[in-house]
Amino acid sequence: MDGDSSTTDASQLGIAGEYMQSSHFVLQSQDEDGEEGMNDHEDGNGSKDNLREQDIYLPIANVARIMKNAVPPSGKIAKDAKECVQECVSEFISFITSEASERCHQEKRKTINGEDILFAMSTLGFDMYVEPLKLYLQKFREAMKGEKGITAVPVSESIGEELADDSFANQLPAGLITTDGQTQNVMVYTTSYQQIPGVQQIQFS
Amino acid sequence: MSANNAGGKVNVSHSLTNKNVSLPMSRVKLIMKSSPDVSSINQDALFLTTKATELFVQYLAQCSFKNGSGKEKNTLAYSDLANAAEQSETFQFLTDILPKKILAKDYLRSLEERTEDSD
Repeated sequence: MDGDSSTTDASQLGIAGEYMQSSHFVLQSQDEDGEEGMNDHEDGNGSKDNLREQDIYLPIANVARIMKNAVPPSGKIAKDAKECVQECVSEFISFITSEASERCHQEKRKTINGEDILFAMSTLGFDMYVEPLKLYLQKFREAMKGEKGITAVPVSESIGEELADDSFANQLPAGLITTDGQTQNVMVYTTSYQQIPGVQQIQFS
Repeated sequence: MSANNAGGKVNVSHSLTNKNVSLPMSRVKLIMKSSPDVSSINQDALFLTTKATELFVQYLAQCSFKNGSGKEKNTLAYSDLANAAEQSETFQFLTDILPKKILAKDYLRSLEERTEDSD
């Protein structure tokens, strides 16, 4: 693009192409996925500064798939509807995040944790999601633990530190976090997946 | 994939086999971080946001589809989304980015009419 090495590849960020919007009407160009380029900007300095928050979207294929599963099997979805939901989604994420961030700051904390997010959802009219989300989170954590077959001490509600992206992809630190917050590198081996009573086991197909 | 029904309940059991989310968490994180004053986000928060976003897409698609008043009943069109945003309190925050579309020719025509009136 501009030869600016500090920016990540725009096409991977899902940046939309030309898009005109006024208070009365919207004109939209026929954007195909993969042809997206950076929004116009003159200077190549900095990375995040040139990208407005509303320009970053989730991949349209993923969004479209979820939509497709939500409507009856025979239903169709117009292309501009998919693109539109893509934008709504970014708006939604920002909406939740800023509310959660506010609460976080109010409590003088720097890291947004799960509770902040759930609180934000509740405040913003999505409280029907809170209980299901807690369940999902529980399953997610157990799945992350179970994958490695390592018995780990359940970590506390908020880890409080940001993990790198690739730490989500199944590399579990083989350590224990003790009650006083110190991390010890202790290898824990087990020969079988521990049956935790009262918790529904997940079947991996 | 679990779906919201009219009562607003979410069926969790259907998705228990899917420990992952179907949206890329790294991208979600990027969007979150573009909000002002956000310094760091913990793993739980990122997962919850990603999952909530999935639920949101489902909910928005379902609501809009049900209210479909477009020419083709079986198709979810942009106008269905715009209508859903207007009618539902939950989707109020979307009204700014979901303006009702009009055809360019209709707009131009209304422009002409306005200039004619002022003659």
